[in-house]
Amino acid sequence: MTRRELISGPNFSGRSAALMALLHDEFAAECFYIGPYSEAALSGLTSTIADEIDLYRARPATKSAAMPASLGRPVFPAFDVAAFSRREPQTLSGGEQVLLALHAFSLSSYPALAIDTALEQLDPQNRDAALDYFDRRKGLAANVAMIDNRLPPPLVGWTSRERSADTHAFDCDPRRLVADLAPRQAPAITIRGLTFGYRHGNTIFRDVDLALAGGTAYRLAGPNGAGKTTLLKLLVGVLAPNAGELTLGDKPYRPWRHGNRAIALATQNPDHQWSGATLADDLARRRAAFARAVDAECFAEPRLEKLAAALGAHSLDVHLYELPLAARKRLSWLWPLAGALPWAVLDEPSLGQDLATREQLAAAIGQLTALGYGVLFVTHDDDFAARIPHRVLAIGDGRVKAL
Amino acid sequence: MFTTPRLILIALGAAINCSIGTIVYLVKLPIYLDSIGTILIALLLAPDRMAAFVCAWAAGWVGLAVSGLINPFLPWFAITDVAIALVAALLIVPAAATFRARPARGGPFAFQVVLCGAVTGIVSAIVSAPVVVYLFGGVTGSGSAVVVALFLKDGLHLMSAAIMSGLTADPLDKVLQVLLAALLYRATPGEFITLLRAPEPGAAA
Amino acid sequence: MTPNGGFAVGLILIALSVVEPGPRGAAVLVALALAFAIIEVRAASLLAARRAALVVLPLALFMGLVWVGIVGEAPYQIAADAVGTRAAALVYVAKLSGRLFFIVTVIQLVFLRFADLTPLQLIRALALPVAVKRMLAITLSLIETLRHAIDRAHIALIASGTLTRAPSLRNALHSWRLIQAVWLSAVTIMLGRMRDKWPVENTMARLDAALAHVPARVFAGDDRIWLPITLGAAAVTLLADLVGKP
Repeated sequence: MTRRELISGPNFSGRSAALMALLHDEFAAECFYIGPYSEAALSGLTSTIADEIDLYRARPATKSAAMPASLGRPVFPAFDVAAFSRREPQTLSGGEQVLLALHAFSLSSYPALAIDTALEQLDPQNRDAALDYFDRRKGLAANVAMIDNRLPPPLVGWTSRERSADTHAFDCDPRRLVADLAPRQAPAITIRGLTFGYRHGNTIFRDVDLALAGGTAYRLAGPNGAGKTTLLKLLVGVLAPNAGELTLGDKPYRPWRHGNRAIALATQNPDHQWSGATLADDLARRRAAFARAVDAECFAEPRLEKLAAALGAHSLDVHLYELPLAARKRLSWLWPLAGALPWAVLDEPSLGQDLATREQLAAAIGQLTALGYGVLFVTHDDDFAARIPHRVLAIGDGRVKAL
Repeated sequence: MFTTPRLILIALGAAINCSIGTIVYLVKLPIYLDSIGTILIALLLAPDRMAAFVCAWAAGWVGLAVSGLINPFLPWFAITDVAIALVAALLIVPAAATFRARPARGGPFAFQVVLCGAVTGIVSAIVSAPVVVYLFGGVTGSGSAVVVALFLKDGLHLMSAAIMSGLTADPLDKVLQVLLAALLYRATPGEFITLLRAPEPGAAA
Repeated sequence: MTPNGGFAVGLILIALSVVEPGPRGAAVLVALALAFAIIEVRAASLLAARRAALVVLPLALFMGLVWVGIVGEAPYQIAADAVGTRAAALVYVAKLSGRLFFIVTVIQLVFLRFADLTPLQLIRALALPVAVKRMLAITLSLIETLRHAIDRAHIALIASGTLTRAPSLRNALHSWRLIQAVWLSAVTIMLGRMRDKWPVENTMARLDAALAHVPARVFAGDDRIWLPITLGAAAVTLLADLVGKP
């Protein structure tokens, strides 16, 4: 009888450690592992998707041995793997990498699978497909252990292991960041004729027109790989469009040439946004870079220390890369929610966060919008999005439609 | 000796040597910056000098092999890499504690950087000079060839010119490299360093 | 042609060019390399030549500037304390550049010949000990990881206003931040893999299994034509020098 184990509990209750202990003590054999964030989903040892699959493909132990029994395992259909076979795995979006990992697992002979919050990155359709794949009745003869913040126990067919908080060292309340902010009229962002495609890939945006008003929250919705993160990168100036113009207020805005002037970005993987080794370093950089746009008094150290404490960091000298992952994710909200810049852009901000924290974050974002800031967020969590009054921008097939 | 994390570290150090070294080489400055990875590896493996020496040496040679695809001169300086790895293990490893001290102590930090850089640079210059002279007749593609040329114009013999050019450029270059490596070492998360000291992870399991 | 054959031919050609063949020997080498390019690599040979030119041309110009322009003598003239001439310096630089161009072109030709193989397939096909293959695979993957880390650091520093995508003075002043961000990013990625994914999955064993496939024969197919020809050319090259010398 194959096992289905769900480890649940609030953040910092030792779930990841419990997962590792479960794999080591009870599952005993080798186990395929899909960790939080894309870099922990794939092996990192291959430079093409075809090689990644080949690496994990079931092989007989010796030349004369029979092929492993796992070849009877149902294959998890990911995206069109054949078409993507020469692409580098690291150019896929976070969700696509998780799908690729699941596909590789389904072709392998691993007797067990462990997932640490990775399914939270999948869009609803893919997420349901993954959960369906684990359904015992569908014939997957492997043990599965999972941590997922959006699957509160009990889950039919799964054994629950509930954990309680180990430590209160990282307790946070994001609402405190916006509590003392003054109202602000964020300038509108207008996009005209935006066209963009990666050099060796498909066109992601074709002649897109969009008007984003301050004081409104927009949710970018679309399937994995549709281009949501790409649009955010274009707005911040990491990518340059092939054609099209942006205006900020009534002035032309070309962040790819002149730098980011108005957008505070929280990236999907928090480690994609640090510009220093310590929090103090990182914030000092941002203050210096936006010296003209940011009110110096507002970002003096005492206030920053209060904001950091509200997110669970008790000193600005904390080394960012030495914090636990969930704590780093929370600190990634500091810059956008601190009211430094008129536009706050958050890419899947609730990943890896328990229910209580997600509710608080949603309230904070809602409050920020109500104060007049412009907010753009990406999330696959419909419950989280429902707590924030917002308008939907649907991305797909090269277009962005305001719904 | 060669646990998986250390193999990764060697490859990472080699990759750093390659990437920064190649950029500097293409820009033709009279510096190299092609051993930052080697020095960094030695620091990360402190205080184990043998491990530091062997892994730094390995990173140097792997880096040369890959850089050799772009800079055909580089693989011939293999002995220089061994020398740098040796100096790193003997002199730079003991300085690791100073570099990592939090909060930083400016005086000792600067002193160690200058001392380590100068010694590494002098050793590197002396070991490289014969290669420059006998294998390439003084003609290399690095920016320091200009310095050699100027010394030759002044009437020096080729070997003297090569050594003088080395002693002029190398210590400064190595001081810069030690500084950059020390700063990167300071910022490295402690968990990574612990992993490098451990026996094969998962092996105890 | 197998990768083993291709690499062997390439290594022999490079080794021969390094021993400084005379004009007849050089002609044999160039002819062989051309034959290899036309028969095995075909259209991609132009790409190989272009890449080699991109690497060697600036180098040649720089060396010319230094040795013909500034010094005005050839190194062997300096070493012999003889009177030097710019013409001799030019010839020396030209020969050195030519040799470098040849070496880089041969390297590119060999890699382009097997461009249809994925990196894992290429490494697997080489007749090397598994430990060496593993090191090659890991180093290649680290280069990918470093590129990915550079991408991540780039995003972070642009979003935080420190860098701009277009070249700027600001970028030059903050290049240290980029180096530090890249290093920390790479370390964090590797830490996650080495602490969690690789031990749990024993991914290294998967890598070894994927690389361990040993081909039935080290050399096969067209190797059996190219290798004897290359070795024959080697003999001719070396002898041509001896015959030519007084």
